[in-house]
Amino acid sequence: MINTIFFSLLAIFSLFVFMNLGKIKASKKQTDRDNRINRFGSRRGPGNQRKTNSTIVEGEAEVINDKDEK
Amino acid sequence: MSKHSALNRFGRSANPAFTRGFENYSETLPVSERMTLDGAVNKTGILLALCFSGAAIGWNIPALMFPAMIVGLILALVTIFRSKEKAGSTAPLYALSQGIFLGGVTLVYENMFDGIAIQAIGLTFGILASLLVCYKSGLIKPTENFKLMVAAGVGGIFVLYMVSFVMSFFGSGISLLSPTNGSLMSIGLSLGIVCVASCCLVLDFDFIEEGAEQGLPKYMEWYGAFSLMVTLIWLYLEILRLLSKIRSR
Repeated sequence: MINTIFFSLLAIFSLFVFMNLGKIKASKKQTDRDNRINRFGSRRGPGNQRKTNSTIVEGEAEVINDKDEK
Repeated sequence: MSKHSALNRFGRSANPAFTRGFENYSETLPVSERMTLDGAVNKTGILLALCFSGAAIGWNIPALMFPAMIVGLILALVTIFRSKEKAGSTAPLYALSQGIFLGGVTLVYENMFDGIAIQAIGLTFGILASLLVCYKSGLIKPTENFKLMVAAGVGGIFVLYMVSFVMSFFGSGISLLSPTNGSLMSIGLSLGIVCVASCCLVLDFDFIEEGAEQGLPKYMEWYGAFSLMVTLIWLYLEILRLLSKIRSR
């Protein structure tokens, strides 16, 4: 009987914790780190370096000639 | 002339359809159509409620157990491999059918060991909540290596299950997986499987957290809730098996 009450309360309390804590954003310690799993490919570039949001490269345009490449 | 003349003329495309995976979604979708933590948690709550309703049916009509398991398996495969976009309709059906299956399985275990079901339910939700606290606080940090380790573990367990499944056709099986095998080796194996399933929960939390951060489409809330349900159901079944092994000693 005590066994049933204990595990029932554990289940209810855990569900309550999940439904409330789940809606809160994770701590900075969790989200602001370089070794996070990069599932969607938009946060970091190669070498775990952060990408900027903009895809426009600022600076002067440079014409590349075939001669220059050689 | 530049090698990338098309890029120079038109610039880079911002259309998500032309980018890999879900890249740039957060920049193109309106806020109301983006995935949120609230939405994912609420949808998990809905799936859990459906699962419990199904379990009540399965508990009273155990004959539905195996048809429900097959339906659930098909729905899971469809959701994972065919249409993530339709997770909103397949995930609730999956939760209901798996609930029916779990109800039947739980009844079988409960007839063998009195009071085992509530212990398994309590432990499953206990692990869920404690791992969520650990994840949110940054105590457990899922990395690429962590993901590889878990994937290797899941792969190994899958092979073990498959071998056992094939052997069952020849009237045999792996005795270590038997719920009535109370040897230390068998309990250790079950404990290991529970640990791997628990690590999968951490990956699910991270998936939902990152999805909300990146502003994935709204239907991914259902998909995140679905993946959490798949792991929770697996974890519950493994805890049931572990408890029955311990009780068999």
